[in-house]
Amino acid sequence: MSLKLDLLWSPNREEEFVTFGQELTLFQVVKTDSSLGSAQVSGATRISDSTLAIPLSVNSEIQYVKCVAWYPGHDPHQLIAVGQANGRIILVSFGQGGNKDPNDLVGKEFGPRHARQCNSLVWNTHDNNLLAQGLDKYRQDASLLVWDVNAKPAYGSSYDSTATPDSKRGSTFYVDTTPSIRPVAEIGAAESVYSLCWSINQPKILLTGMNKYLRVYDIRESTHPQNAALTKNVFGLCVDPHSADRVASFSEGQISVWDLRNFDKPVLTFTENRQIMKLSWCSTRSGLLTSLMRDWSMVKLYDIQHTTGGSDEMEPVIIERLIQPAGQHSVGSFTWHPTQENRMLTISSDGQIRDVTVFERIALAWSPSQMLAWSCGKKLIQCSRVQVPPGEEDVAEKMKYRAMRGYGLQTEQVWQNTELVGNDRQLKSMWSWIDTVRSLWQEGKLKTMIKNAPKYYGIKSILRGEVSQNGVTNFSEYSYAPWEGVDGKNRLQPKLYKSDERKKCLQLCCWDFDSEAELNTVIDRLESDGEYERAALVALFNLKIKRALDVLNKGASGTGGDVNLSIVAMALSGFSDDKNTLWRDMWSNALSTSLKNANLRSMFAFLTSGMENFDAVLNEEDMCVQDRVAFACMYLCDSKLMEYIDTLTAEMINGGVLEGILLTGFGRDGVDLLQKYVDNTGDVQTASLAVVQALPGEISKDIRVQTWIESYRSLLDRWGMWYQRAEFDVRRASCDASIRPPTQVFASCNFCGKSISSSANRRNQFLSYGGGPAANKPKVTACPGCRKPLPRCALCLIHMGTSSGTASFRHKSERTGSHNSNVILAPFSDWFTWCQSCRHGGHSQHIADWFRDHSECPVTGCTCKCMTLDSMYQAVHSEEHGAT
Amino acid sequence: MFVARSIPADHKDLIHDVAFDFHGRRMATCSSDQNVKVWDLGEDGHWTCTANWKTHSGSVWKVTWAHPEFGQVIATCSFDRTAAVWEELVGESTEHGQKNWVKRTSLVDSRTSVTDVQFAPKHLGLQLATCSADGIVRIYEAPDVMNLSQWSLQHEISCKLSCSCISWNPSRVHQPMIAVGSDDANPSGGGKVQIYEYNDNSRKWSKVETITVVTESVKDIQFAPNLGRSYHLLGIASKDVRIISLKPLRRDQSSTQTSGHSKFDLRQVAQFDEHNAQVWRLSWNVTGTVLASSGDDGCVRLWKANYLDNWKCISVLKGDGSNVKLQESSQVQQQQQTLSGGAMNGTSSPPGQAPLPLNIKRNSGWAYFNTKKDQGKHYY
Repeated sequence: MSLKLDLLWSPNREEEFVTFGQELTLFQVVKTDSSLGSAQVSGATRISDSTLAIPLSVNSEIQYVKCVAWYPGHDPHQLIAVGQANGRIILVSFGQGGNKDPNDLVGKEFGPRHARQCNSLVWNTHDNNLLAQGLDKYRQDASLLVWDVNAKPAYGSSYDSTATPDSKRGSTFYVDTTPSIRPVAEIGAAESVYSLCWSINQPKILLTGMNKYLRVYDIRESTHPQNAALTKNVFGLCVDPHSADRVASFSEGQISVWDLRNFDKPVLTFTENRQIMKLSWCSTRSGLLTSLMRDWSMVKLYDIQHTTGGSDEMEPVIIERLIQPAGQHSVGSFTWHPTQENRMLTISSDGQIRDVTVFERIALAWSPSQMLAWSCGKKLIQCSRVQVPPGEEDVAEKMKYRAMRGYGLQTEQVWQNTELVGNDRQLKSMWSWIDTVRSLWQEGKLKTMIKNAPKYYGIKSILRGEVSQNGVTNFSEYSYAPWEGVDGKNRLQPKLYKSDERKKCLQLCCWDFDSEAELNTVIDRLESDGEYERAALVALFNLKIKRALDVLNKGASGTGGDVNLSIVAMALSGFSDDKNTLWRDMWSNALSTSLKNANLRSMFAFLTSGMENFDAVLNEEDMCVQDRVAFACMYLCDSKLMEYIDTLTAEMINGGVLEGILLTGFGRDGVDLLQKYVDNTGDVQTASLAVVQALPGEISKDIRVQTWIESYRSLLDRWGMWYQRAEFDVRRASCDASIRPPTQVFASCNFCGKSISSSANRRNQFLSYGGGPAANKPKVTACPGCRKPLPRCALCLIHMGTSSGTASFRHKSERTGSHNSNVILAPFSDWFTWCQSCRHGGHSQHIADWFRDHSECPVTGCTCKCMTLDSMYQAVHSEEHGAT
Repeated sequence: MFVARSIPADHKDLIHDVAFDFHGRRMATCSSDQNVKVWDLGEDGHWTCTANWKTHSGSVWKVTWAHPEFGQVIATCSFDRTAAVWEELVGESTEHGQKNWVKRTSLVDSRTSVTDVQFAPKHLGLQLATCSADGIVRIYEAPDVMNLSQWSLQHEISCKLSCSCISWNPSRVHQPMIAVGSDDANPSGGGKVQIYEYNDNSRKWSKVETITVVTESVKDIQFAPNLGRSYHLLGIASKDVRIISLKPLRRDQSSTQTSGHSKFDLRQVAQFDEHNAQVWRLSWNVTGTVLASSGDDGCVRLWKANYLDNWKCISVLKGDGSNVKLQESSQVQQQQQTLSGGAMNGTSSPPGQAPLPLNIKRNSGWAYFNTKKDQGKHYY
């Protein structure tokens, strides 16, 4: 006899199951953190990532187990009916406390008159005392027996319930007269019963698979089957727990699904190449059939949920799915958890147990506020990211954070934006550039001679003469600039170029130093910011080598100073022009690669360039674009400078590097660059806010710019940040008058149809509906056009245009404090408001008071629920509730 | 760190779709129990079900919200071969705060299961696209946005392959464009993602691209929110997760009149098979910078690109929400484990025997699932 291992979940204890084969073992499943892995409970087996199975008890007294069924009742909850090879049923339990046994069931035995193999054993889940047993054929004996386990033994019967151990051991035929229990029903004379199950909605109905039939019996009327179907698929009969009329059965290579209401032919038939071993419905999901095949590592699922949903003309829709619970090990058996969704235990032929959850299709969705919701079977899970480490936020989170803090909306202190962008060098440099240009305009240093030229033009435009009067650039003059600080007499002197355009460029780079004092201010500022390398660079490129050395030494000596800086300073001081000196070799061999700081590298590159070829400085990519451009403007001749600026601009645009905005300005090139930046980062916010700074201008007509702005506005709307959206609109409109939105609402007179506000405005700007100082208030209770009275407030019955009384009183008392303040706008409570649906209205204060207690319109006979129609109502309502 | 919370959904069968409205304050779910539920986000961050009603006579596959400018409107599609448009009766609610939703229309043109329904982006007006298992995409339009009971079938596009999913291109600059995915199981049937574009001159939808690199059946397809980018990103859920970028090529002014439809520079920017099995659904975050995908391995994975446009996985969340809170701590453990790696290796038990190594991913030697074939024309 092959040792077949099988397993079964407990029907009433969530985390208990048994395995059976040679012996019965009761296990408990314990959830563990995977971290607990090493602290093993003795004998426990890991059955999944998060669960351990701990054997609680073993019952090895029973032999020749053919099938088991777990008692569905609660007392005792660990009662198991075991069907043996000789047809006997023993009710066993595990030797543990806490098992109440009020009916004294443990140890009871039942058996047929003649010994034969027990094929199937099922408890009735409605009447927990009924146990059905299916047996092999024996002459004319009935093979389907239904036992009442609570029945009292009757004497003189040939059925036996308290057989002695001797009779248990394989005797095939015996008659004795000990007290015994008769079965409640005996069905199926001279048949073999291969499988059986109880109907799930009718407690007395039993379904069986016998020789060549599937039959439905009522145990109260057991002589004739109620229903039958001729088929060879008589094994593994089971009812879908979610659909009482749907049953499934199999034979060697075929599975059929039947509808009991139309039992003549199967609804569905699947053919399999392998020998089918077991068939079962998933207990938690409707229409999920599961089959197991011999010597295969897979469990196969058939989702037939949508086969009967539509009408007959539709093709059956079946999804097959394969599950491989334990790698290459072939699956010996499986059991669905009775209550937990899609949970299954499998056992391989060599006894390995696996706890598997079959995942359903997970549907998922992001909410605009970065919350992720997904469904998992019937469950719904929401998940949000918290405590995101700085620097790792998604651009959506960054944008929201910045928008909340008024990013980009400053009109005057543009530099404040740099404080919101964290350590982003690109964004910082762009905003400080915008700030520089602004202040240059204000100081009058920056002018454009051409009409309609963009305010924020770039260095490229300056050098190309696009912003000068005649459209051409002047040739630059050069002089040999002297070194300062060290004994500079014998040194090579670089050519320092000068022209008006170059001067402007240097201004934009913040490198225009008219006097030494200005230069020193800049260097001092950089020093105080801790940017010693850059300060030294500025000094050196302005040929103040002594100053550069000072800066470096300062950097080295200051608190937390970098000792390397003093070494660099030392190296710098030994600089010599001679092309063959050791110093130069040292530099080009060792120092150039080991220096981490780009500013330091380019300082040496400058000194070793022989004052002719500056490529090493110009192509130092980690250096600020600002410094590189400034350097080029000082030391490159006209043709080379243009070439360099063109290449650099193209490079910046291609890379979407925001620093490059210095070169492009907010022109066409600038839009290209920003587009690339948006492509790379998705930061449409910065792009929109930056171009708004440059309005009005040609670029506002660019479709890309409009797209950014619209996208950003829509994004703010999605986040419900209407104030920020409105502020953005205001900011935008203040920069560009042409995009001011038109009036959206007009109030017109009922009689003449003329707008009542327009003429009111003519008389006294802003004064439309009452309010304001009473003395100079004109009468606006009548239409200015036809002199007919305006509608009345539904509550105070006074004409529109008057004050609501209460509020203006409060208003006056407030006003006494600041007497000279000229109140122009009527307070909101005096405004006139009306329902868009029924057109009734009144003073907003009155209306708001009314709807605090009422839901219907204040006008008699009007049942309009004005306030609930307003989506703002809910917001106001919830606020008020929150306040009280 | 991620924090997960379970919402008591109380659907009686599988939930097939979850959809947020424009603002993310409302959520709709649909299920095989033929019902749709609408949830509102409270001030305390909890979701309350404010409506639950039977929508169809079959499983409800998808639910989608219209832009709030058109009112509180959702559309559903179902196995019962119809799609429907529902509107909330604002201002009317029952005692328990339950809202009333009424059916405004039922779209009954399909003769097979309607597998997806999507509202067009707002700037195209009130338009609705559906696709069905028989391979037909239908575009409906409500000419009067105040009257949601009148929808006219504007276009029928035959895709030749059974359709499983549809997505509108959200770009407001580009021509109206939809991508259609097919769950046809035959890999030799060619590309499973088709892209259609509306042509103003001919007033017709026509196919502009077939994405030939995707030959396995496609379960979901999503255009990323555009947000001013110069290219469109399309996420595809097939055997693996793919992200395709479509960059419209500059059109000559002259050729627009003649040739009609646009040309694209198609580029596959990412392909991930970490799900190890069928990928089911995708969703982009609001900026189109993070893509979430779910697959048969029972995990939700998040993908994000760095500055150089290299996409990589940033998180793996278990579908049942079990590991979500532990995300941070398990990473710490992993580090500790690598530090003490030598000792751990020395005592490791034979493979397959407990105790198994810690922090095992679900797909490493453990149960994995695959869908072998689609016997029917439909995967649900």
